[in-house]
Amino acid sequence: MGEITYIDAIRDAQHDLLASDDRVFIYGQDVGHFGGAFKATQGLKKLFPDRVLDSPISEDAMIGLAVGAAMEGMRPIVEMQFADFSSVGFNQIVNQAATQFYRTGAPAPITVRLPSGGTPGSGPFHSQMMESVYAYYPGLVILTPATVADAYSMLVAAVALDDPVLYFEHKFLYRWLKADQLNDGQEPLPIGKARVVRAGKHATVVAYSAMVHEALRAADLLASEGWEIEVVDLRSVKPLDTDTVIASVARTGRLLAVGEAFPWGGVTSEVVSRVTSDGFHLLDAPPQRLNSRDTPVPYHPNLWEAHRPTLESIAAAIRNLLQL
Amino acid sequence: MVVARTLESKLASLYKAGKIVGGVYIGPGQEAISASIGSCLSWDHDIFSALIRDQAGRTAFGEPILDATRSYLGSAKGPSRGRDGNIHRGRPNSGLPAMISHLGAMVSVVTGMLLARRIKGCLDGVVGAASVGDGASSTGSFHEAMNTAAVERLPLVVVLTNNQFAYSTPTDRQFACKSLVDRAVGYGVPGYEVDGTDLTATLRVISEAVRNAREGGGPQLVVANALRLSGHGEHDDASYVPEQLRKSPLGRDCMEVAEHQLLSTGLITEAELLAWREEATEDVQAAVAQAQQEPAPDPFADDWTVYASKEIATIS
Amino acid sequence: MPEVPILMPQLGESIAEATIIRLNVKIGDQVIADQEVIEVETNKATMGVTTLCKGTVQELLVEEGVSYPVGTVLGLLDVTDEEAERTGVQGSNQPANPDSSAASEPTEEPRPHFATPEGGAHEPRAVEPSIRGLAVPAGMKGAHYLSPRMKARMDELGLRGADISAIVGSGAGGRVTVEDLEQFLEYIDSWPHSQASPMRLSVADSMRRSWTRPLASVGRPVALDKLLSYRRSLDPKPPLTIFLLRAFGKALAEEPATAGYLIGEQIVHPRALDIGVAVQVEDGVLVPVLRNVDGRTIEELMDEYQELIRKARERRVPEGNTGGGIATVTNFGTFGLMWGTPIPLPSETLILGMGAGTKKPVWSEDEGVFIPVTEADLVLTFDHRVVDGGGAGMLLNRLNELLQEPDSL
Repeated sequence: MGEITYIDAIRDAQHDLLASDDRVFIYGQDVGHFGGAFKATQGLKKLFPDRVLDSPISEDAMIGLAVGAAMEGMRPIVEMQFADFSSVGFNQIVNQAATQFYRTGAPAPITVRLPSGGTPGSGPFHSQMMESVYAYYPGLVILTPATVADAYSMLVAAVALDDPVLYFEHKFLYRWLKADQLNDGQEPLPIGKARVVRAGKHATVVAYSAMVHEALRAADLLASEGWEIEVVDLRSVKPLDTDTVIASVARTGRLLAVGEAFPWGGVTSEVVSRVTSDGFHLLDAPPQRLNSRDTPVPYHPNLWEAHRPTLESIAAAIRNLLQL
Repeated sequence: MVVARTLESKLASLYKAGKIVGGVYIGPGQEAISASIGSCLSWDHDIFSALIRDQAGRTAFGEPILDATRSYLGSAKGPSRGRDGNIHRGRPNSGLPAMISHLGAMVSVVTGMLLARRIKGCLDGVVGAASVGDGASSTGSFHEAMNTAAVERLPLVVVLTNNQFAYSTPTDRQFACKSLVDRAVGYGVPGYEVDGTDLTATLRVISEAVRNAREGGGPQLVVANALRLSGHGEHDDASYVPEQLRKSPLGRDCMEVAEHQLLSTGLITEAELLAWREEATEDVQAAVAQAQQEPAPDPFADDWTVYASKEIATIS
Repeated sequence: MPEVPILMPQLGESIAEATIIRLNVKIGDQVIADQEVIEVETNKATMGVTTLCKGTVQELLVEEGVSYPVGTVLGLLDVTDEEAERTGVQGSNQPANPDSSAASEPTEEPRPHFATPEGGAHEPRAVEPSIRGLAVPAGMKGAHYLSPRMKARMDELGLRGADISAIVGSGAGGRVTVEDLEQFLEYIDSWPHSQASPMRLSVADSMRRSWTRPLASVGRPVALDKLLSYRRSLDPKPPLTIFLLRAFGKALAEEPATAGYLIGEQIVHPRALDIGVAVQVEDGVLVPVLRNVDGRTIEELMDEYQELIRKARERRVPEGNTGGGIATVTNFGTFGLMWGTPIPLPSETLILGMGAGTKKPVWSEDEGVFIPVTEADLVLTFDHRVVDGGGAGMLLNRLNELLQEPDSL
């Protein structure tokens, strides 16, 4: 038995995919014998020597190559060493992969794994949350698993989809988040469905990725103050499960959307915009957003901790929302 | 080549008659190079990423000219059904990927297609060709792709047509090495340089490169020199091309050179050449006429889906 | 002597803990700065933990083969004051290490963002949200602000602002929130209640709409004796209200602007002098309207008047007599009331009310004695946007004059 971490789940998923599907191969920097910068592919090259391949530092070519391979029927998984470096391959992701099916009718079923989010000291170029930037482009599926079970099942589902998927795994959750087992015996939720991870009635907090855990801690704190806060884990940013969010706001009347991303636009704006348009009559108070500050991610942990939403700032934002 | 020249002349005049939506990009002066690539490859077996001025190559490879007329004339039956146009067309399932506008980006796609075949165990005897220009060779995408293909030692033949201008940018503002073939050494691949106006030469050199690649020689870089005999697009008059360049041997029309070579060696007769031209004209007229009669895309009939997976398309 | 800690460093991205492989020193050993004193292993590599400064190993708090989180105090060095100052580390008051599985750090050390699941108190830091949420709009502070959800819920229940005025708001600025509303509804649900009749609801709506204007009332007593004796001389005897109606109509015919109706910046003048009469019915009031009151005599009005009163009591007022009046007359004196402040219909600017007539002693200057006079109070309620007290007073005085010459009506 023993504990399974979030990154164990990702590794297990890749193992199972390689084992069950000849079309799957993994392509990334240092993914081979080294096992990847975060050890997400540890041991896999030994088992599947021809399908776990080291790439040069060429994010553009890595993605273009993946698209070509997908056109030939393969199911490539491209590991970006950090999500932050995917900007070098931005063109291939948004203009090649995302438009392939729309323009030619030939699908481009690539999966790109992007280690995202901040850890203490990771600094401006090893901390970014980039799902909003890519969600902007039509044709992409954007996933943000927040649990060990989702880390496994959503990666498997991502590879099975016939569309290009950007799978944003959160670095902090890699080894911090543990579970007793990979799944609780229940059918995994499909991609595109959000999950109500904590039921409540005074306010809804919508979060995704690592912020789900912070939101839950904030909800616990507020519970000790007599408030029942509902927390929704989006799980997939695109497609975004508006129905679940609106149903939650129908119960609570108040909304706070929390994200670790930069504040301009993005996931939290999209959530607030949809709830305001489609569920205006459900709102008892103006909907709120909480994001990181509008600066690059700072390096020093003191600054870093004050840059992003924390247990305290989320709790403060919820209290503010409850008083409106 | 004849078909390409005929078709593109027709497209240019349709453009000037206002019948074409968007830009028209043709490749006079490069037909020899392009046709050489296409004729060394087999449809449904090899891979060819054709670029902007590759009508001759596309035809030689096997793309029907109806695809061209449909794409340009906005027929709903074209390969992109109106969602993309002009030279952004292809048949990915037959080894002809559809290009995106970002130059250099297709080379890694061909690389990936070849890698896939290697993993699947069906790479033997297959070659993937990518056509690029002098401008594309400056891009990071080109560099990354060449390097990656070389590291993987894949049978990639990159035919770089140096037609002296990237839009209005002359080569002395595009690269500083003496010849673009010098880069081959940097990538660790064999390089070839050839007079692109000479069909005999281009056929010989390109087929040699293709053969080397097929036989496991890894990526090959062929640099073919020519002069772009049109504007960048039909909206451009190329007035920046200096007269002496036009008058130099580089400025020869490869069509005339090819015809002279074929006739003087007795490979074809005048009558046959005439018959080719007439046939090409008829085929082009028919393809244009058919495309013109076909309906344009109907925004109400288009399903506007962007996802191939049904489960995602239905909830988006 | 000050103590300086040996800490488990942050050994790479997403590393949360490391295992002690070997302790290279023992208690009492002298060490120099940057000396590798402990070897640790993460799942990526083996690394060394080094000392911050020169000193003597005073305590080793960890065991070989065990994992500890990043930031854990692994040991303590005894150092001189100069060394302590040089390294900028505060000296003696280090918190004691709890057992090995919990996180514990000195206060300056940046700690990992998420507390370890086993505990370790995480001191709250004052971090502000990066977006300051907009409170309830500034102009809307207070009980007037109704959120979209409030409005939707009120619509659903058929409630209006007046209905919720009893609720104390707990929201920003004292606004009533949906939660307040739901609690209130639950509360009143526990009281006995009955369904209001459609008539009741109709009157409620009408009065609510009328009350959105600034209404004022003025009144004066009127001597009825001449009117009463004139009336007795007629056969059949017309009801008192008819005279009031006629007088009102005549007075308004002289000054129709008084009955004008304000819409925006326009005063709409009456086209015809149609005046309604308030009739109390079960659970409400109906106001049948008599058309063209000033152009008809008492005899002409009487039959229609009786008919309409009767029909009103049966709630069958004909359509031709419904609505369109420019003013209303209400004789609440029939209920024994002396005075009142009637409310005009929402579509009208004026309502004239009359109280019960009583015999009063009134001083007569001529005769130098109190003489008995039958007096009743006339009250005029008016929309103060259109009419002022003076205008209303003048109308009432004119009415008095007319009522003193009943045969002219």
